[in-house]
Amino acid sequence: MIWAKEETLSRSEMEALQLKKLKETASYIYDRVEPYRKKMDEAGVKPEDIQSLADLQKLPFTYKVDFRDNYPTGLFAVDKKELVRFHASSGTTGKPTMVGYTRKDMENWTENVARVVCMGGASDQDVAQISFGYGTFTGALGLHGGLEKVGAAVIPMSSGNAKKQMMFMEDLGVTLLVATPSYALHLGEELKARGLDPSKDLSLRIGLFGGEGMTEAMRDEMHKLWGEDFFCTQNYGMSELCGPGVAGECEALTGMHFNEDWFIPEIIDPVTEEVLPPGERGELVITCLGKEAIPLVRYRTGDLTRLMYEPCSCGRTTVRMENITGRADDMLVIRGVNVFPTQIEEVLFSIPEIGPHYEILVERINHLDAMTISVELVDDTLLDSYSKLSELGDRIKTGLKEQLGLATKIKLVAPQSLKRFEGKAKRVTDLRKDGV
Amino acid sequence: MIKQVSIFVENKPGAMMEITEALSSAQVNIRAIAAFDTPEFGILRLVVDNPKKAKEDLTSKGFVVRIQEVIGVELQDEKGTLNHMLTCLSRANINMNYIYSFVIRQGRAPIMVFQADDEEKAKEVLTREGIKMIKEEEL
Repeated sequence: MIWAKEETLSRSEMEALQLKKLKETASYIYDRVEPYRKKMDEAGVKPEDIQSLADLQKLPFTYKVDFRDNYPTGLFAVDKKELVRFHASSGTTGKPTMVGYTRKDMENWTENVARVVCMGGASDQDVAQISFGYGTFTGALGLHGGLEKVGAAVIPMSSGNAKKQMMFMEDLGVTLLVATPSYALHLGEELKARGLDPSKDLSLRIGLFGGEGMTEAMRDEMHKLWGEDFFCTQNYGMSELCGPGVAGECEALTGMHFNEDWFIPEIIDPVTEEVLPPGERGELVITCLGKEAIPLVRYRTGDLTRLMYEPCSCGRTTVRMENITGRADDMLVIRGVNVFPTQIEEVLFSIPEIGPHYEILVERINHLDAMTISVELVDDTLLDSYSKLSELGDRIKTGLKEQLGLATKIKLVAPQSLKRFEGKAKRVTDLRKDGV
Repeated sequence: MIKQVSIFVENKPGAMMEITEALSSAQVNIRAIAAFDTPEFGILRLVVDNPKKAKEDLTSKGFVVRIQEVIGVELQDEKGTLNHMLTCLSRANINMNYIYSFVIRQGRAPIMVFQADDEEKAKEVLTREGIKMIKEEEL
């Protein structure tokens, strides 16, 4: 089912709508948000210079670091009294990326998520178990609102506790699962280990996955675990843009449709920053249209993909993007959480007993991401007792947990034993292959 | 009190050998050695004939090394002597973090090396009980 008529507009109708909203957005950010006005003045561009969609290229980029530099609410365009919600995700360093929503923003967000869950096959017939972690992350509450809007019965389950997940699935006849694809695979194995055959014993028919990319290998594995008829789609979003609801796969499984009347995607060469012609692969840049609390223009997502403007067999006319194939920066996605090596560095550098060099190893064990950080011990006084050494390990883990919200494994190694780099350091080894 | 050399070791093949090899080429003689099973990293504890040289040499090779004073006691090679010592410490409520013994002493009585949380009190107890503590030069 196609949720909104905007998903089937002709290209010219869509472009006319986008241009109208883009002009409003350009004036809105210039009038209301100081950092945007400054950037636009520096670039010598005024709101009235935006006369066509191609003029979008005149507007300056916005970067993740702008959120940190303007923390907490420097990029906000409205007073706190207009806000009805805050969300936050991990930033590049200690400060989270803080976002807010007006009542209108909440309605629009929910509408966009409703479209995406419909693309994935959800309807008012569904009992939806949301196994994303709740909290300040946008994933759980975003899907929650969109699924309620289409009339599904939502179970705000959160992640973890496989036994309870299984009980709710069985007892309430859950038909739809929201999770990160890796957590869904992990959960599938846990259920099998408990003697349950998801394809026979459960009513599950739909998986809506996000928070991290789902490869085709993961989709195949999903079918092995949850049954051939389990229909799996992924959707795309990030808290800066609103959360989930930016784009999603339809039944054709040929890319994720953008909600183009709310988000204009561009593909640029991440090095030259030139906009690339349709169909070329590069960094995804997104401009939000009509966002009130925290407008966002030409946001550098860091995700690498390509756009497809060809019509889709599902009937939607909106542009699609291919699976994300990588990152333009060094961001890692661990259990659906964005992790920047700079965040880890900040914690490690604050601990005097260890040296400045470190290595990050990311693996997938039983379908779950595991991160091991090796650090060099430099302080000999810790050798007085083993408890001092293990206390150091615990202290690093606690610091990282506070910073990242993730559990990590710490490996203390001898000084000088980690690799030294003359040029750009390659500190991250990611052993996750195809995500399975 | 005797000097003990503690060295940080990763739990991986060859980790201890690297240390013994370094000491061997530095002509340092190992008199006692102890390491305990720990999951990922551990502390190798040694008593050597030249702790200062051992530390200098190992540090220059990139090891984290610590010299510490610990108690060494000479026990007669008879039934119950270790038990007697431990009983005395236990009665005084002294907690022992680790204990190990010398490798070989060419015909002389064995030496136990240990570290207690309250070293001063431990020494007091041992002196009172007439248990002989060893000085560095008596090794």
